[in-house]
Amino acid sequence: MNNIIEISHLNKSFGEVKAVQDLSFKVKEGELFAFLGVNGAGKSTTINIMCGQLAKDSGEVRIDGFDLSKDPDSIKRSLGVVFQNSVLDKDLSVRDNLQSRAALYGISGEGFRDRLAELSEMLEFDNLLKRPLGKLSGGQRRRIDIARALLHRPKILILDEPTTGLDPQTRSTLWKVVGDLRKKEGMTVFLTTHYMEEAADADYVVILDSGKISAEGTPLTLKNTYTGDFVTIYGAEEAQVTKLGMPYEKIRDAYKVSVPDTAAATQLILKYPEIFSDYEIVKGKMDDVFLTVTGKKLTGGTEK
Amino acid sequence: MNITGLGALIKRNTKLYFKDKGMFFTSLITPLILLVLYGTFLSNVYEDTFRSALNAAGTSVSDKLIGGCVGGELVSSLLAVSCITVAFCSNLLMVQDKITGARHDITITPVKSSAIALSYYLSTLFTTLIICLIASGVCLGYLAYVGWYLTAGDAVALMGDVFLLTLFGTALSSCVNFPLSTNGQASAVGTIVSAGYGFICGAYMPISQFSDGLQKVISCLPGTYGTSLLRNHALRGVFEEMEDQGFPSAVVEAIKDSVDCNIYFFGDRVELGTMYIIVIAAILISIALYVAMNVLKTKKR
Repeated sequence: MNNIIEISHLNKSFGEVKAVQDLSFKVKEGELFAFLGVNGAGKSTTINIMCGQLAKDSGEVRIDGFDLSKDPDSIKRSLGVVFQNSVLDKDLSVRDNLQSRAALYGISGEGFRDRLAELSEMLEFDNLLKRPLGKLSGGQRRRIDIARALLHRPKILILDEPTTGLDPQTRSTLWKVVGDLRKKEGMTVFLTTHYMEEAADADYVVILDSGKISAEGTPLTLKNTYTGDFVTIYGAEEAQVTKLGMPYEKIRDAYKVSVPDTAAATQLILKYPEIFSDYEIVKGKMDDVFLTVTGKKLTGGTEK
Repeated sequence: MNITGLGALIKRNTKLYFKDKGMFFTSLITPLILLVLYGTFLSNVYEDTFRSALNAAGTSVSDKLIGGCVGGELVSSLLAVSCITVAFCSNLLMVQDKITGARHDITITPVKSSAIALSYYLSTLFTTLIICLIASGVCLGYLAYVGWYLTAGDAVALMGDVFLLTLFGTALSSCVNFPLSTNGQASAVGTIVSAGYGFICGAYMPISQFSDGLQKVISCLPGTYGTSLLRNHALRGVFEEMEDQGFPSAVVEAIKDSVDCNIYFFGDRVELGTMYIIVIAAILISIALYVAMNVLKTKKR
């Protein structure tokens, strides 16, 4: 797979504040790329530079083969952005909103009508076209936001905390749509999120802290590197669990034992088979990875 | 420049202005206040003042002529203020778009920043013109009711003045609103312009009634000449009628001085042609400033 986004030694400062420091990463075509970090880590600055909203101090940004310094307009045509909050006009109808934005990409007349028909079928908002955006529910509005981002058939979809504040059902619908787009059109998805379970489904994850990359890799690599495994043992006595010599935590009807990795868990099972009559092994979660890497916890946008 | 994009932005901005009832009614509040103020209080005061002044000069005058004179003053004041305040309110969309994030959504598209800036200017010009031309129609109807002394040429000249002042109001509001980014700032500017502009352009109160120092300061502001152009065209027929009825020229000139048809720049009377030059120059300078602000911001980003 080719790299669709290549960022090398990117730097951006606001006065004394270094928002992005020597940032380099690559995103492969068609993958779901997760960009994690607490507020102020540099995610939005990076996205704003990629979208041509902010000038970089130094470094190189290449998107879809175009150099940001030389051909920002071509890059803008390759990117579709779903912002954290809906930025469409609440007083205008869904159709008027999409029509006015499509025209900014030169899409009008029959071209617009065809694309609108495609998108309204895909995202199921045909019955909402005449309604003012401000009268729609949060979930309905999100579907229109996605339609707006896809109007010009971008190769890369940037999702900037797209599910913050959404109910579980709408969140699930959004991910279904994104999944279908990736499958059918091979679209690359660049995601920033505060929900670690969403990052766990990514093909590649970059964790940003204070404008620098703290860790990167596939979710599995990150979990193996930065967290251990957990063995939950059911129906055992505490004395037996103590004998394992590993840190543990008593939960309602079981004991949760921390082990460095899956190999260590296997060794314990082989050594004390009588204790492991009913058990399960799970890998550490992305939350644990994030906490280990940054020393901070991500909870719905707030740093703890 | 992407013409489709520019057209779409103008259409969007115009639709948003008329759909946002708050913005629409806020822009009409100043002319409405002026109308109520004149209708209930000031028209009687002005009529009595004129009548007693003319009686003192040993001349009598018909109610129609008095009506035409006071009505002309009201109409010119109302239009002078409306062209500016409506433009300021309409151009607040520029600030609203920053607050709601819509501006961000527009600037991530390939449309040029010059097209975005031009779209705000043209849509504000369009919406302000619609409202002010409707207001002009209502004003002409009012003059027909209280005392009509205008020729077709006067009416066309009045419309021309409205167009010029709308161009000026749009350019001025584009420069003033450009750096604003919060509701508080927008509200403060709106209040200051609505309350203050009428005074400094001589619409709420004739400049001739201000102190000498203040008159000199106000004579340096281009809006003053816009108001005076409107007043000259709204009252030309009235003064002609007064002269036809045998009013002494000195009396007519004194009335012209008192209602700001004659404007003095440090003692020298400014002719109508010069007033046009001043207003047009102010429009061009404001537009140049708006362009410069946009260019600088694009470079800074």
